[in-house]
Amino acid sequence: MKPAIEAEGIGKDYGSLAAVRDLSFAVDAGEVLGVLGPNGAGKTTAIRVLTTILSPSRGRFAVAGIPSTRSREIRRRIGVLPESSGYPERQTGEEYLTYHARLHGHTRRSARAVASGLLDEVGLLPRRGSVIASYSRGMRQRLGIARTLVNDPGVVFLDEPTLGLDPAGQRQVLAHVRTIARERGAAVLLSTHLLTEVEENCSRVLILNRGRVVAEGTVSEVVRRAAAPRSGRLQVAPEQTDRAAAALAGVPDVGRVTRDGRPGCLSIAFASPGTRSEDAPLNAAVRTLLEAGIVLISFELEGARLSDAFLAMTEAA
Amino acid sequence: MTTVEQTADRAAESKAAPGWTVVVEQELRDLWLGGRGLLLSVAFSLLLSIIAYLVATNTALNFLEHRESVNLVLQVAIAVGGLLTLLAAADAVSGERERGTLESVLLSPVTRSQIAAGKVLAALSLWVASFAITVPYAWFLGRGVGIVGDALVTGVVVGTLLAVFLASLGLIVSLFAGSNRVSLSLSLFVLLALFAPTQLPSNAQQGWAGELLLRVNPLTAGEHYVGKILVSGHAWSQDLSWLASPLAAAALLATAAPILGARFMRLRGGVAT
Amino acid sequence: MNRRQRLVAVLSALSAAAALAASLAGSAGASRFSVSMSRAQTTTHLGDRFTFRSTVVNHGRTAARGLIAHLNVVGLEPSVYVDPEDWSSHRTSYLKALPPGRSATITWRLQAVSAGTFDVYVAVLPHSAIARPPTTGPAVRVAVADRRTLNSGGILPLALGVPALLGLFALAVRLRRSR
Repeated sequence: MKPAIEAEGIGKDYGSLAAVRDLSFAVDAGEVLGVLGPNGAGKTTAIRVLTTILSPSRGRFAVAGIPSTRSREIRRRIGVLPESSGYPERQTGEEYLTYHARLHGHTRRSARAVASGLLDEVGLLPRRGSVIASYSRGMRQRLGIARTLVNDPGVVFLDEPTLGLDPAGQRQVLAHVRTIARERGAAVLLSTHLLTEVEENCSRVLILNRGRVVAEGTVSEVVRRAAAPRSGRLQVAPEQTDRAAAALAGVPDVGRVTRDGRPGCLSIAFASPGTRSEDAPLNAAVRTLLEAGIVLISFELEGARLSDAFLAMTEAA
Repeated sequence: MTTVEQTADRAAESKAAPGWTVVVEQELRDLWLGGRGLLLSVAFSLLLSIIAYLVATNTALNFLEHRESVNLVLQVAIAVGGLLTLLAAADAVSGERERGTLESVLLSPVTRSQIAAGKVLAALSLWVASFAITVPYAWFLGRGVGIVGDALVTGVVVGTLLAVFLASLGLIVSLFAGSNRVSLSLSLFVLLALFAPTQLPSNAQQGWAGELLLRVNPLTAGEHYVGKILVSGHAWSQDLSWLASPLAAAALLATAAPILGARFMRLRGGVAT
Repeated sequence: MNRRQRLVAVLSALSAAAALAASLAGSAGASRFSVSMSRAQTTTHLGDRFTFRSTVVNHGRTAARGLIAHLNVVGLEPSVYVDPEDWSSHRTSYLKALPPGRSATITWRLQAVSAGTFDVYVAVLPHSAIARPPTTGPAVRVAVADRRTLNSGGILPLALGVPALLGLFALAVRLRRSR
């Protein structure tokens, strides 16, 4: 089956500035691809190219199997929540969704039915008759998500959907994102700053920096490839602290071992894994402690997170 | 896309209303039910009421001055109706850009030219409403001098041509303006510049240069034609050549607006690609 | 009378005869035409439109070309200003060639824009290299009765009513939306 989104060598220039360079990736139906990048990385530009708002300077793409030359047909098949989406203050939520449903080809009657259904789905049915000016930010984002679904799209683009929302609002929106992919079988491209969002909701991640793809894959693949420096914090029985430090100092790939002040707590830094498995230093450290008869109360690994990989990739480039 | 999906698309398209009608309907709702259009109509009716009251209570008016008063009411209707139409169209794209609502409309499968056409048509509703409000005043003042029919017909013909011209002009300015403030200011400036020749001294308006300036300018040409019918009592066909520039301006810009809309309706204003 | 004196007398008589012949020829050219009006008088009211016809007859032996008929309005009361252009926008009619003995009829449409008494007449001029005196027809006496063209009594309901109705409608829409 063809991917829902296929991009090959996409580039977009604004004069002499290359906002997006050589963007190539694919997303399957039912998959959620997280797109990460610092400000100005080209995420929004990439989304605008793929959603036919902007024309690419180079490359080609296909969305829902439709080539980029047929932009109107692409727009029939996609739902988009832009980053800076505004809402007409004087329209009600129901009017807004009905309008967009009709723009996507629904008749008046079916548009009203679709609007009601979607408002119910995003929990806004009780406020259907209220003007959007009275909606909170979270409600507007949910309305925006509802709007992306008026045409039952096969591909959904969400650009910073949780921006400005409180944790509860973020949770609600992300729940809808998962539902879109799981229950509707749509391919979702989720652009976000929040790395935890990606870790929890995305099957794959794409990291952009200065218009280029610097990493692509599953979260663990990206983290591994980034070779982020890792460290750990362990806690042993207080009387065994010195023995543990001495034992760890002799383990290959374990760097510095320091006490962090609390009884029994040690911080250790792992050397980069090189060609060996990334887990080798960690396993060696734990094995050494156990063989030495040291009681390991807790072990917390640091530096193996997406956030570290993200920073490593975007700062180095 | 599968054949089933293509067939479903075509079937849905055939039943659903054309995109431009959906845009017109929503724009009309926003304009009139949202409140702006009605408030402007109330303000306009107050203006006409003041003029009509001053005219009607002036017992010193002779027959010709009475006819000129009817002409004045009609000229005010055309001018103000045109102004409101122009401003509504000037806000149509640049205003949506600033409010952040344009992108979601551009993301629909409706073509940009249809969106442009729908917005122009919706802006024209302000002229329609202005003229409708003018009818009772024109009837009241014109019945005594027997020019109600002439007033209404010339008003609707000339006013509609000018309204189409101004609505299209406003939309085109809105497409290219970098901000809504620029769009509204520039549109207003153009309108004032078009009205400026009416303020020239009468001897400057005569002669071949003055007449050419008045004829080429659709606003002054339209105003001249209405005056000749209502004040000078000319027949319809006597000064038809004066309608050439309003007709040409309306036709040209009404054609250009959707074409330019298809090319230049973007998230950012300006001509740069 | 000597020879010289006789010569002067003959020459004077000849030039007088020539002048007389010329003037007779001129007046014979003007009187080639006659202009008659379809009515002698009419009574109307201020603002009303009325029409009358004038008939130009060519009494000459040759066809008359380039005839111009022109309408004029004269106010008989010094206090009443008259601009004929206000009465009719078609005051000049260029006639086709008129064969001898034939006539041409012109219909004139006017609107009575001032109250009072007026004479309306038509002058016919041939378009020629030499200016010739016009031929005028009899004037039509037009009596225009004054009347009130403005009824200020009904303006208040209109001036107040229209904005009030629109305002109420706007308020109703606003209230309905806010619920």
